[in-house]
Amino acid sequence: MLRTTLAGLRMHKARLVTTALAIALGVMFVTGTQVFGDTLEEGYSTKVLGAADEYAAVAIPAWDEGAPADPEAPAPVLPADTLEQVRDLPEVAAAGGMTRGDAPLLDKDGRAVGSVPTIGMSVGPDTRFQPAEGSLPEGSGEVALATTSADATGYGVGDIVTVLDSEDERHEFTVSGLIDFGVDRELSYRGVVAFDEDTTREMTGAEGYSEIDARAAEGVTDAEVVRAVEGVTGSDTHVETGDAYGDRLAAAAGGDTQVLTVGLMLFALISVFVAAIVIYNTFAILVAQRQREMALLRCVGSARGQVFLSVLTEALVVGLVASAVGVAVGVGTGWAGFAFGGEALGADASQPLVVGVLPVVVGMTVGTVMALGAALLPAWRATRVPPLAALRTSATAQGLEKGIGWVRITVGAVLFLISGGIVFAATDGDRTGPTGMVLTTVAGLVCFVGVVVLSPLLVRAVVAAVSPAMRRIGVASMLAADNSRRSPKRAATAMIALTVGATLITGYAVVSASLKTTMDERLAEQFPADYRISASLDDPDAVVPQSAVDALEESDAIGTVVERRRTSTESDDASGDLAVRSYIGATLGEDIKSDAVSGSLTDMGPGKVAVSEEYAGGREAGDVLPLATEDGEQEYEIAAVLKDGGGMGGVTLAPQDFEKAFPDVDGAAGVLVDGAEDASAQQVRDAVYDAVADAPKVGVSSMAEMRAQFDDMLNIAFLAIAAMLGLAIIIAVFGIANTMALSVLERTRESAMLRALGLTRGQLRRMLSIEAVVLCLIGAGVGILLGIVFGWAAGTTALESMVFTLPVAQIAVFIGVAVAAGLLASVLPGRKAAGASITGALASE
Amino acid sequence: MSQTAAVAAPDDGTQAPPVVIARSLSKVYGVDDSAVRALDGVSVEFARGHYTAIMGPSGSGKSTLMHCLAGLDTASSGTVHLGRTDITRLNDRQLTQLRRDRIGFIFQSFNLLPMLTAEQNILLPAQIAKRKVDRERFERLIDVVGLRDRLDHLPSKLSGGQQQRVAVARALLGAPEVVYADEPTGNLDSRSGAGVLSFLRDSARDMGQTIVMVTHDPMAASYADRVIFLRDGQLVDEVHAPTAETVSDRLLKLES
Repeated sequence: MLRTTLAGLRMHKARLVTTALAIALGVMFVTGTQVFGDTLEEGYSTKVLGAADEYAAVAIPAWDEGAPADPEAPAPVLPADTLEQVRDLPEVAAAGGMTRGDAPLLDKDGRAVGSVPTIGMSVGPDTRFQPAEGSLPEGSGEVALATTSADATGYGVGDIVTVLDSEDERHEFTVSGLIDFGVDRELSYRGVVAFDEDTTREMTGAEGYSEIDARAAEGVTDAEVVRAVEGVTGSDTHVETGDAYGDRLAAAAGGDTQVLTVGLMLFALISVFVAAIVIYNTFAILVAQRQREMALLRCVGSARGQVFLSVLTEALVVGLVASAVGVAVGVGTGWAGFAFGGEALGADASQPLVVGVLPVVVGMTVGTVMALGAALLPAWRATRVPPLAALRTSATAQGLEKGIGWVRITVGAVLFLISGGIVFAATDGDRTGPTGMVLTTVAGLVCFVGVVVLSPLLVRAVVAAVSPAMRRIGVASMLAADNSRRSPKRAATAMIALTVGATLITGYAVVSASLKTTMDERLAEQFPADYRISASLDDPDAVVPQSAVDALEESDAIGTVVERRRTSTESDDASGDLAVRSYIGATLGEDIKSDAVSGSLTDMGPGKVAVSEEYAGGREAGDVLPLATEDGEQEYEIAAVLKDGGGMGGVTLAPQDFEKAFPDVDGAAGVLVDGAEDASAQQVRDAVYDAVADAPKVGVSSMAEMRAQFDDMLNIAFLAIAAMLGLAIIIAVFGIANTMALSVLERTRESAMLRALGLTRGQLRRMLSIEAVVLCLIGAGVGILLGIVFGWAAGTTALESMVFTLPVAQIAVFIGVAVAAGLLASVLPGRKAAGASITGALASE
Repeated sequence: MSQTAAVAAPDDGTQAPPVVIARSLSKVYGVDDSAVRALDGVSVEFARGHYTAIMGPSGSGKSTLMHCLAGLDTASSGTVHLGRTDITRLNDRQLTQLRRDRIGFIFQSFNLLPMLTAEQNILLPAQIAKRKVDRERFERLIDVVGLRDRLDHLPSKLSGGQQQRVAVARALLGAPEVVYADEPTGNLDSRSGAGVLSFLRDSARDMGQTIVMVTHDPMAASYADRVIFLRDGQLVDEVHAPTAETVSDRLLKLES
């Protein structure tokens, strides 16, 4: 029996090529993801270990695990004399200390980089860090930059950079080298300028050490060093071996790797699922076509079990071979992924590929089990073929599949109703957040099962609806319309594979587009100006210098300048500080807007306040709000109660009232700037930057740039997800091509007859193309519809007050892709059908 | 294509001009040692309005001859003329057009598209050729073949004989210069077969339709005006106004 199966496999190689491809692609994704994740993780570890494991002990100030970090408290340090004490220990051969403070690096515009000051850090002779490029800084004129800082500013080795000291004085340095801090998240995020130790103290004013690294003396173990160091540092210091320290950092970075791997794995599973659908369909068709073969086997004495096993054996062989190919290609993909993406993710790019046993085993198992699982039902069906079928003249089903299938309709309708009910429950009312998301996902799955159940009817109904139009176009499209209706079950299964991808990608596109619109609207509300100038974030009392405000007001390129003053006081109605603000130079309700629950911002004026709901204590517009001020408790009439979550949380006073209530606040925390109407964007930008040139730590952000950054982020995320789902879509197209190829095989005689009747090769090819395109369009169309509905539901539950936006352009692209996919899927089957000799096809059965 | 010219007396083949002329037609499959001569220098003419049957034992080359005459297969050497057209010189596109506009086909089975109704099947060639359907001829044909109340049925709902009659109507609707029938009654019981065969004979006599039919059944061949016999790819015999007995006798002689 096995020999028969294998002989059959050899004969039908071509039929199974696309199936094998589908399996291989799915497995490739699974294995590739694992290899990529493992290599990345290993890349992180070697990077840290390479630096830290040379040290016997690393001492850092102890931290309290549970307590939330207080950003305003100075970072704890080790006293300066600790280093000397460590050096004097007999167990220690050498020790180095690391000093840290703030040292804002200025970019090429003369602005401080980022919203948090760059870290100034010492890299002495015994530092853990080695330059990725150039050399470590020596003397007072040199500096080394973190590679992330270099990327953000565009500076390289040999450039002159400006760094502010703790008094905000500018100092110029030559960049001696670049250091890759990749694995440490804080260092990479804030950026680092590294000096020698003396320069670091001069620049940052930092005392003590944030880290002391000790090397072991001859013949002393790391553990002994750690104990010795602990002896001199005391209880407020955490001492561990270099290995342990490295492992801890790597684990933290590895957490990111895991998130990434899990994310990728989700997409891999989608691919595997789609591949399973494709395999199921292929085996179902093959069994149907080989009915006679199966019957003959039964005639010559095969038991049902043997027929069953023969189909499964076929699936097993295909699964094993394809999985092996998939694993091999997956290893290559993982390597490519690491080679191109590893560096960007902060791993050591020279890390050799890590191919564990697990990814290989998992890949082989997933592929083989998937193939076997998908072949189970077709194999069972093969056992139902009666031996008599061998004697029938026509083995292949020629007619239409009949029957409306009331069961199908009922089950499908019930599932849709359930799904609709869940969506309604999830989007109605306050069930936003995780619960809503979970409900939406469940609803999506239920609805999808409904679509699967109804899909044969769906295919038939859609084709019936469009076929009158198709008949009118020409004979090729007329035949295509009729062909599409011939085996709706088969067409539906082929189509579903594409629907999965289309649903997910459309859903994501809808969420992404809606998110963008929503964010744009919020941005416009919270950021009602071309530019926002804000006092540096590291000091809550910092203000924008008055000289800058004056310069802006005098500039011709600037239209309006709104000063935002801010302080805080105590509130009886809510815990925590109550923010009190005032806008000088703005018409509230016009320049600055926020949604009101009661009253209106336009009613603001002297003696009145706007207050956000949280602090209103149930009061409404017209009520009186008492407020603790420097001038004693004052009472104001509420002009508007504002929705929480807008840009105006807390209390907003009229400028006159604010000045009287808080006379000590004499500077603007922020300035909103609009360009003059006749000024070009560049003129406005120049005017803004000129005005703040003397205050480099003052932050300048532009609405347009922020929006662009946000859009970039969303676009990159969308492209990444689209690329991941792209593989699932490719697999689905293979499935459609496979279904087409098998249909063509089945219709060999019919095609020959059509050719004899005068259908040209071109018309035959076109007929198949249209058939495939119709199939793809239905599949994609259903997916797009589902994607829009569930994208909307997911967005609504995930984000309060989401503005639904239909990504029309993207959906048009998806439809275009579906048409292209159909054309692509029909190329080979069409070529085969058109190339067949008429007489040969007529003679054979 | 016009029928007015096709009123020649069916029994007098010498007077009617030939529609299809094959000269020294050969067809070789394979090369060198394994070469098989399916046709070996066949020269034959088919007169307008004549109903001719091609007979011969299995492997005699009768189907190959028909395929070469119809432009479904290419001959290795020799020529085939349809009217004034040398079809052996045509490329695939021209052959397709020739089949579409000037030739009708009836096959043994798989004649009809399963997803089209009887009427749609009959009209299919006209649709492929974007030809205007001669409604009058269509009505006359479906009456003669007795399909009027079956027009909107799918092939799966028709009997074998009805299916073949749909195929005959389809082949005749375009009034092609010649109709090729490949074992048209091979899958039918004798009564349905007789219906189809007499209908073919009538259309040759009444409408002047030229018909070439391949068959192995002497009874079927007896409906034709003339029977030609093939053996080993060569034309070996010919009978005019055949009866089932004469044809059987000749066949037996050939096979012995």
